[in-house]
This record gives sequence, C-alpha cells and structure tokens, in this order.
Amino acid sequence: MNHQKLVSAEILAMKPERTGTSTMAQNDQKQAEPSDRQTDLQLVRKVRGGDRAAFDLLVVKYQSRVASIISRYVYDSQEVMDLTQEAFIKAYRAIDRFRGDSAFYTWLYRIAVNTAKNHLESRNRRPQGSADSAEAENFDDGRRLRDIASPERLLQREQLQKELSNAIANLPEELRSAFLLREYDGLSYEDIAGILECPIGTVRSRIFRARDAVDKHLGPMLNHSVT
Amino acid sequence: MDDRLRETLSAMMDDEADELSVRRLLSHENQADVRAQWQRWQGVHDLMHRGRSPAEGVDVSAAVREALDGRARPQNPAAARHREPQRFWQWPAAAAMVAAALLVGFGAGTGWDSDAVSSGTLASAPATEASANESPANAGPVQEVALQGLDEKQWEHMSRYLLEHAQHNSVGAGQGSVGYARLVSASGGY
Repeated sequence: MNHQKLVSAEILAMKPERTGTSTMAQNDQKQAEPSDRQTDLQLVRKVRGGDRAAFDLLVVKYQSRVASIISRYVYDSQEVMDLTQEAFIKAYRAIDRFRGDSAFYTWLYRIAVNTAKNHLESRNRRPQGSADSAEAENFDDGRRLRDIASPERLLQREQLQKELSNAIANLPEELRSAFLLREYDGLSYEDIAGILECPIGTVRSRIFRARDAVDKHLGPMLNHSVT
Repeated sequence: MDDRLRETLSAMMDDEADELSVRRLLSHENQADVRAQWQRWQGVHDLMHRGRSPAEGVDVSAAVREALDGRARPQNPAAARHREPQRFWQWPAAAAMVAAALLVGFGAGTGWDSDAVSSGTLASAPATEASANESPANAGPVQEVALQGLDEKQWEHMSRYLLEHAQHNSVGAGQGSVGYARLVSASGGY
C-alpha cells in the first residue's frame, strides 16, 4: 500500500513537467513507447485474411508518422497527404510480403521512404535528406516534423495540453497510477500489477477507465473527421 | 460498442490484447465506432508523447479506405476463405467416390464378396484419405484390382457408370457425388 502511494506521489510529482511540455515528452518517446509488435501482427494477420477493418486501424495508428516521414522529402502539404495515402495503399497490396522479421512500422517506414523517393524521381527531383530504414525504429517524427503550425494552432495545442494535464490530475489515484505507469513509463500490465499489487485484469480495467475519462474530459477537442 | 470491447481496444493500444478479443472486436458490426474510438485514443497518445494536437494531425484513413474499396485486392481473401473448404473437399470426395464405385461396381464381377469390399476398401476410402497424403500402399492395389482383367461387358458397365457419375456430379455440383455413390452402394446397383 505504501509502495502504491509512493509510486503515485512520484508520478504526480513528475506529471506537470511531462504533460506540460512537448519537449520532455519527445525526449522520453523512445523509452515511453514500448513495442507494438503484438497488436500490429494480430492486425496484419487479420488483414491477410481479408479483414479491411484491421487495416483501417493500422492506418489510423500510423498515418501521422508516415506523413512525417514523407514530409522530410516533400514539402507541399497536399503532396504529403497524397503520398501518405499512396504508401498505405502500397502497404495493403504488399501485406502478404511482410514476413514479420521486423516491426510492422519499420516495414511501413521503408515503403513510405520509397514512395517519397520514387515520387521525387518521377519529377526529376533528387531526393533530399536521408532516411535509412535502420532509422525507422528511432525515427522521432515529433522532433523532425517541420513545425508549420499557425499561431491559432499553437494556441489550440497549448490549451489541449493544459486540458490533458487537468484530465490526468482529476483522475482517481488508482486510475492515474496505472495509466501513467503505462503511458509514460511504458510498463507492461504485468509489471504494473506487480507494482500496484493488484491483478492484471484490474490494471487493464483501470487503464481503460482512465483513458475513457481523459477522452471524455477532452471531448470535442479530440474530434477527427472519422467516417 | 460496449465497455468490454472498448476495454479490448484500450488493451490493443497497450499491446496487451489477446488474439480472440481482437477477433471479437474486429467482427463488431459497427466498425465506424471502433475506428472513431481508436482514433481518439491515438490522438491522446500522440498528444502525450509527441505534443501534437489531433487537429494538427493527418487523416488519410477515409481516403485510403475509399481507394481500397474502389479497387479491391486481386484475390478477394474473404471470398476465397469461404470457397476454399468447398474446393478442398470436392475433389478428394469425387476421387474417393470413383475409387469406391469402381470397387463396388466391379467387385462382384471379379469375385469379391460384399464383406471384403466394405471392410477392406470402403472403410479405408473416406474423402479425407483420398487426398494427396493418402498412403500409396492403399491406393495402388485398389487401382490395379479395379482395372485389371475387365472383359468387354465390364468395360461397358464401367463406362455407363462413369457417365452417370459425371452427369450426377454436373447436376449436383460436387455435393451430389457423395450422395450418388452412397445411393449406388445402398441400393445394390452396379
């Protein structure tokens, strides 16, 4: 019990820094984002079986990152969108060739880079910059993406981050602990269960409820044009 | 989408969902709800880890979906999945029926008694064993015994049988082959 309080206090002490600035979050990215291989492989298997809904989830998950990769080569935002779309279509058609030796994102990264390079070559433009596929695992799009945000966008970003901090701060302690241990420390459910001394199912439920509460708190600010 | 499915989706965000739960989620009738929830949570995730507002993000998911809907994959895996089992059973079943029918039809003519036929060959010729992994030791003698030493009358008999068999199959589209052979065996014809 004391351990749980200690963890929560520690997390709360760190929270304002982490949620308040994007730089900190970016620096922590590599550590904070554990492998997504299992989920990706599950989805890839379903796509191979003809499940288009599974591919939709992969697109939603990776579209920002793929666009960021492509924006290193192509500077026109409409072209970036078109090439991002093209990269996903290529990935879908080639999904049977993904053997699972590397992470799905690494494979997708190569497709995105090739799509961008081919596009430039077709326009007789020499590809600028480098994007070795070995970089894929470490590619931090948040840091490299050219920031073309307007002042309105920047203001909106600040407001959203403030609201995110408030949403997390307002979570009940047991939800907040589980959620932050997962999101910022990248711990598995099993590890979190060990730290919080509760069953894995409880961890799973707490993280879900925390995520749901944050989602509800942010409300329409998060809305996408999902159809 | 109920809370159980949303909890699965949350576990997928954390790479902690099991295969069965994922399958259940993907078979949910309203995939638009699933996508919307997934996108919102991915938005929160991006905001937490990359400091990027979802409104600044890219959304090509609808365009990709439309492009793929308009131009499906060359082989439709869903349809293929439904067709494959039927194809898998159809040909071995037909082959087994031909082998069984030859034995039943000509067994009497070559001096086999009915017990020998039923225990020695029919029992060992279900559809599954007629596939490629069938033991050659079982398959070889059956063909030899069935085709060797046929006189003119027996050849005529066999031809008529095979013709009827083919006609029956063409009408029954595969399913009829099993029924026909069983019918022949049960009625004692041929």
